Amino acid sequence: MKRMGKSLARVALLGVCAAGAACTTLAPASRPVPTPAPRPAPPPAEDTRPSPAPLPPPSGAGSRPAPEPPRDVPAPRPQSDASGASGVLLEQSRAQRAAGSLPAARASLERALRLDPNNAALWLELGELELQTGNMSQAATMARKAMTLAGRDLRLSSRAERLLRAAE
Amino acid sequence: MLAIAYGGYLAWTATSEFEGRRWDIPAQVYAAPLELYVGRALSAELLVGELRRLGYREDPRLVGPGTYRVGLGRIELATRGFSFAGDSEPEQLVSIAFVGGRIAALRDSAGRPTPIVRLNPLLIGSLFPSHGEDRIIVAPDEIPPLLSETLKAVEDRRFDSHFGVDPIAVARAIFVNVSAGEIREGASTLTQQLVRSYFLTNEVAWGRKLREAFMAVALELRYSKSELLHAYVNEIYLGQDGGRAIHGFGLASQFYFGKPLGELELHELALLVAIVRGPTYYEPRRHADRALERRNFVLQRMADEGLASNDEVQKAAEQRLGLADDSRRSTTHSAFLTLVRRQLSADYAREDLERTGLVVLTTLDPAVQAAAERALSEGIEALGKEDVELEGAVVVTSPHTGEVKAIVGGRNARYEGFNRALDARRQIGSLIKPAVYLTALESGRYSLASVIDDAPIVVELDRRNTWTPSNFDDQAHGLVPLVRALAESYNLATVRLGLDVGLEQIAATLQRLGLEQKPTLYPSMLLGALALTPIEVAQVYNTLANGGFRVPLRAVRSVVGEDGELLQRYELEIEQAADPGAVYALNQALVQVMERGTGRTVRRLLPADIVVAGKTGTSDDLRDSWFAGFTNENLIVAWLGADDNRPIGLTGSTGAARIWARVLSAIEANSYAAPAPDGVDETWIDYVTGAPTAARCPDAVAVPVPETDYYPRAFGCQGQTGIGARIRSWFGGDDQ
Repeated sequence: MKRMGKSLARVALLGVCAAGAACTTLAPASRPVPTPAPRPAPPPAEDTRPSPAPLPPPSGAGSRPAPEPPRDVPAPRPQSDASGASGVLLEQSRAQRAAGSLPAARASLERALRLDPNNAALWLELGELELQTGNMSQAATMARKAMTLAGRDLRLSSRAERLLRAAE
Repeated sequence: MLAIAYGGYLAWTATSEFEGRRWDIPAQVYAAPLELYVGRALSAELLVGELRRLGYREDPRLVGPGTYRVGLGRIELATRGFSFAGDSEPEQLVSIAFVGGRIAALRDSAGRPTPIVRLNPLLIGSLFPSHGEDRIIVAPDEIPPLLSETLKAVEDRRFDSHFGVDPIAVARAIFVNVSAGEIREGASTLTQQLVRSYFLTNEVAWGRKLREAFMAVALELRYSKSELLHAYVNEIYLGQDGGRAIHGFGLASQFYFGKPLGELELHELALLVAIVRGPTYYEPRRHADRALERRNFVLQRMADEGLASNDEVQKAAEQRLGLADDSRRSTTHSAFLTLVRRQLSADYAREDLERTGLVVLTTLDPAVQAAAERALSEGIEALGKEDVELEGAVVVTSPHTGEVKAIVGGRNARYEGFNRALDARRQIGSLIKPAVYLTALESGRYSLASVIDDAPIVVELDRRNTWTPSNFDDQAHGLVPLVRALAESYNLATVRLGLDVGLEQIAATLQRLGLEQKPTLYPSMLLGALALTPIEVAQVYNTLANGGFRVPLRAVRSVVGEDGELLQRYELEIEQAADPGAVYALNQALVQVMERGTGRTVRRLLPADIVVAGKTGTSDDLRDSWFAGFTNENLIVAWLGADDNRPIGLTGSTGAARIWARVLSAIEANSYAAPAPDGVDETWIDYVTGAPTAARCPDAVAVPVPETDYYPRAFGCQGQTGIGARIRSWFGGDDQ
């Protein structure tokens, strides 16, 4: 019925383009065909470029902590066995961030967090990304979230505190 | 003169429809891709189930993407790649080794360890109009040449040479059909069929036939054979799924076989071509015999035309129809798709969702969804309540990300009806209590070790009315520590505690936790005189499971446009909703619910070594049975009740908790565990009286307390205070 309606509408148009020429200028065949071509792959997971110093400078202090390899994520966690995969995604996220692709970096981090949600280092990284994009309140919340997960890991808690100070 | 004008009109209509036609393409909705990595809890059986859902074929030679083979303790597969808005996964060969229900090793084709691999996401449905066409568009280079050739061989042998109509075929069809005594062949060319699908109804009338023939010729004059064939492959009607019309070979391949067109085997491709002739008459699920006969006729035609060898055809003809399970049916994931629509409706017009070819990437975990559906229907069955029409709902979320993994809207999940998970608003009973206790813990005036009085109380509502709550067992339990009052779900203690911390504060706590409505401030609210839907309960409990951080529940991760560009990402956003120390303590009390309280019976159904947190809920007269509980990876809310709200004779622990345990044991074996936040200490108390006691004592329980509070340590069992408290509790019950 709907189609017949469309056709009837065209009958009305017919008078307008009865001269013939105008009728042929209808849109060229533009069928909506999604391209199946593969898109460029993200940087390979093995990319082990050093982290681009993701930390905000600690206020007051001049020293900046060395970037840490992902294997260093806190050991005393119940699911440390997943840190292999989440560690690789963390690296991938850092590489994407270094390449200036923040949305992709964020997506990789969220993917890592789905595998390893109790990993304070991942929440910190996400908070630092939020800080970089100017989303202060999210950065602060991520820092607080990381603090609740850092447990007795002093390195992670002090990194969380720096993030919190930078965001507030 | 009039005839020429009419002819011109027909020709113009046909060509402009062809040129200008943009198919209404409903948004295609995908589940979350399954992530495979070392350490993941996943058994070989579950993986095979997942692969079958995805239409993977078992093939010892692993030929082509979408195949797998099973070895001893391992599965090898050739994955399909995928790409959505720049997020891509390559095709690859991987070998997965399993030990003890977990992935123990993951290697690529060269035997190198590979950290993480994703399977292609399952297409779970589309957002098609309530009665309308659904299709997946196939690009010209995605059409298997064998499909084109077979279509021609069966439907239109002279397609490459005729001019839109085929007089020879007409004569032949008359001859064949008359001698066979039934309709074996039609004389319509593919072009005529295309025209018919565009404009015309299926009535058999000479006027229509002539119009159709005329328009077909007009199309032939303007367009190439390959353009016409491409349009045909995407246009033609191939089946019905309730109100959803299956159009085009791309969708038909997914609908009938659960895999992309390019992966179809000879017998599968032949079946699709067989269906063209009559999607209702040859409906393969309903009329398997007819469909099989027609398929084999198509196969024979392929052999006759030299499209396949006699050998291949012979083998293909021996195959069964090989239809996929019904997971491609629109009703299969209708409960989840409703949530997807609701989330998207905030940002997209209905028209856009139903017409513009969007791709929606969601959070659904198909394995969890299937397990939850089974748990609800089998669990209700096992309860043996034949006297009431028992219904139920289940919601499963991922606490830290707020992603909704599964939604079950009723015991018959395949029935597209009332979605109880989203729309059944029912009294929550004791499920409200954690909000009361959290408010108390946050006030700083109470800890889990604080002792409160579970003694009768008369609450004045106004000058004339009073409210006299009672415990479920009609007993008063005297002085009890907070942890026990919550674990055993004592009503009297909770009412006293709630009145002390304030209804207004408790309502505010609920809202902070994620409740959108403001509860009415009646004292009966303290015992759950508040009606919520299962998904609203899930939002509140998700905040608890997430350590006091509120994440809006999400069903959609992102939306990709027709051209593959990313339109929207629904990012992870969290808000701190409660004090982490107080939530940590509350969750430890919810663990005690399972260890010692109202959840203990159900706790025994789970493996002994895992830790879970949860809360039962029962409404007045046993009309509603609730359970909400969580581990680190899953929050599960289960509800049971009758649609007409009659009593069902089940409490939270005898009803919904069993459903909950079934879901949990089917989907994971991980624990709830959280590190103690800063400022939280731990002290040992007697579970019964709350008195300080030594860790080795019977009934000793460790509870988190604020570091700043002073708690005496006891070196013996039931110290001085303990005995005093116990004596007081004997008399406490006789107050009033």
